[in-house]
Amino acid sequence: MTQYFAGIDIGSTMTKVVIMDSGIIASNIGPTGPEQRRLANKVMEKALKEVDLAFEAITYVVATGYGRINVPFADKQITEISCHAKGVANFFPEAKTIIEVGGQDCKGIKINNGKPVDFVMNDKCAAGTGRFLEIIADALGIKIKEMGEIGLQGNNPAKISNICTVFAEQEVVARLAEGVPLNDLVAGILESLANRISRMVNRLHVAEEVVVTGGGAKNVGLVKALSDKLGYALAVPPEPLLTGAVGAALLGKDIADKDLQDGVSLQTKERSLKEIKIF
Amino acid sequence: MNEKDSDILSKVENYYQDYGLRARELKDQGQKVIAYLCSLVPVEIISAAGFLPFRIRGDVHEPITKGDTQLETIACPFMRSCFDVSLKRRYDFCEGLVLPHACDSITRTYSVWRYSLDLPYSHFINLPHTVRGPSMDFFKAELETFRKSLGRFAGKEISDGDLAESIDLHNENRNKARALYELRKSDPPLVSGTEIATILTVGMRLPVKEANNLFDEVLEKLKQRKEAPFKKAPRILIDGACVDNIDFFKLIEDSGANVVADSLCIGTRDYWPKTEVGGNPVDTLAHRYLDKINCPRTYREKVGETYQEDLESRFGDVGSLIKEFNVDGVILYLYKYCDPFGFEVPARKAYLDSLKMPVLYLEDEYSTGTIGRLRTRIQAFLEMIGS
Repeated sequence: MTQYFAGIDIGSTMTKVVIMDSGIIASNIGPTGPEQRRLANKVMEKALKEVDLAFEAITYVVATGYGRINVPFADKQITEISCHAKGVANFFPEAKTIIEVGGQDCKGIKINNGKPVDFVMNDKCAAGTGRFLEIIADALGIKIKEMGEIGLQGNNPAKISNICTVFAEQEVVARLAEGVPLNDLVAGILESLANRISRMVNRLHVAEEVVVTGGGAKNVGLVKALSDKLGYALAVPPEPLLTGAVGAALLGKDIADKDLQDGVSLQTKERSLKEIKIF
Repeated sequence: MNEKDSDILSKVENYYQDYGLRARELKDQGQKVIAYLCSLVPVEIISAAGFLPFRIRGDVHEPITKGDTQLETIACPFMRSCFDVSLKRRYDFCEGLVLPHACDSITRTYSVWRYSLDLPYSHFINLPHTVRGPSMDFFKAELETFRKSLGRFAGKEISDGDLAESIDLHNENRNKARALYELRKSDPPLVSGTEIATILTVGMRLPVKEANNLFDEVLEKLKQRKEAPFKKAPRILIDGACVDNIDFFKLIEDSGANVVADSLCIGTRDYWPKTEVGGNPVDTLAHRYLDKINCPRTYREKVGETYQEDLESRFGDVGSLIKEFNVDGVILYLYKYCDPFGFEVPARKAYLDSLKMPVLYLEDEYSTGTIGRLRTRIQAFLEMIGS
């Protein structure tokens, strides 16, 4: 009988699901939902539907991401640090450093054979995260998806000195009023973000191959700015949002394989694909 | 097991939850209480004068409000919380306040403390920043000044005999604390890091004789544990400054680790070094507080030629603890704006790296509001060292 493994990565903004047998057979990405992770189960349902599988047919489910706690449909919770390490190594076996730019945090992970050996995460606030980009895009009246391309066209990046998201937003609006062209302004924002991320990641002693993942990896302007700052070429996975969920599914498979090898039966939880209720 | 034994741990828990309970009771019986902050105040002198030394604690569950009307938020949040709850009259049974020249946050705010609390007695102890000869001479004179000043407030002269007796009692207390640490050496340990932190915190707000009796009872009770009530798990040492609440220990242990050792102020930094017995008591106290307590607020002369030798002489005590307690990983835990420790984070990490010790550095607010993001980092660290 085929064994199926699912990984669900419940981030602050998006929920990502991957279903695997020996490879990825289905995936789905949807919003986590404004009401505290309420939609996470819907994202899983959709992925299952894609391959016409019942939730009960999944051998093992691993949840990760900030919403991993108290998920009623997972057998185990593993942090996103370990999951990204595993997931990235699946696409880039030689990877040594991962930069993940997520919705509410960004992190640097040093890995060896798919396992984290050290990591850093942004400490205090939204500076250096996807949320920062969302707020600035909003202030400029552009779509976040367009931001990377717009930034690439800026030849004279504006200097943005504020780290605080709220103050940076004010600074951007003021620069716009001064007549700084939009391209240069966006290029400046991406550069300031890249500065902040690279300063943090450099504490890890970056080694090649360097992979960027998370929503921020979809921003071509940011990836270029980061690559310039760090002085390394950066690899981007085919779908940067999915590496955490892929890693979660693979770590679940590892657990099942190990138990089979050790001759012990796999410990699963009683799980159901219900809405997450936290109140 | 008699009834008293089974109750002792809940008594400790009770003392922890209602931190001022015993001091308030004693005050009602006429005992004068002197509040202090930090491990650098010689409590032996306060006890010798007949006062109860009471270590001020902050409260991670209480938002800092009143305190911030008089202090800037760039100061250490632990000290700000201590000040906030003091202003809110939580320790209004105290009749005196002693602060040391420890970190900038304590030193620069002494006058605010003094005028805001307006207690009958206040004193600032000037600790020099090096341990060399002239500094030591200065500090001895400074302690003599403190002895005289406190004696005047007590209405009695604090004799060498009083000091010697007090030194003995506080040394005894440190012996007992060290005996508690012995119970952490087995794998899994017989006592959790959370339990130890509770006991040690409570010990710093009781009359020393009472603390000695309490530690005896706790030791007797814990030694009855035949089997460890905890699972085998990664053995963690917490390195840092003053952690006076158990929430952080609990978070680590709930995440699947055992906290087996520390180099913290309410821990080995303060509880391990003893005062030398015999000789001039003020001289021996000066040695303990200026030299034996290894706090980065004191500059230590470079030893040896290489950076590694320098690191070894500054942090060798942490290395010894790692060996002695068979530690798997270190969590370096600081509150924001900690000037003495903050500056030396890279050196501490370099030292731990040289021992091939995995280290997780966390900089935190003084509040339980950060538990979610700390949990992810701690769990990831444990997954990393556990695999």
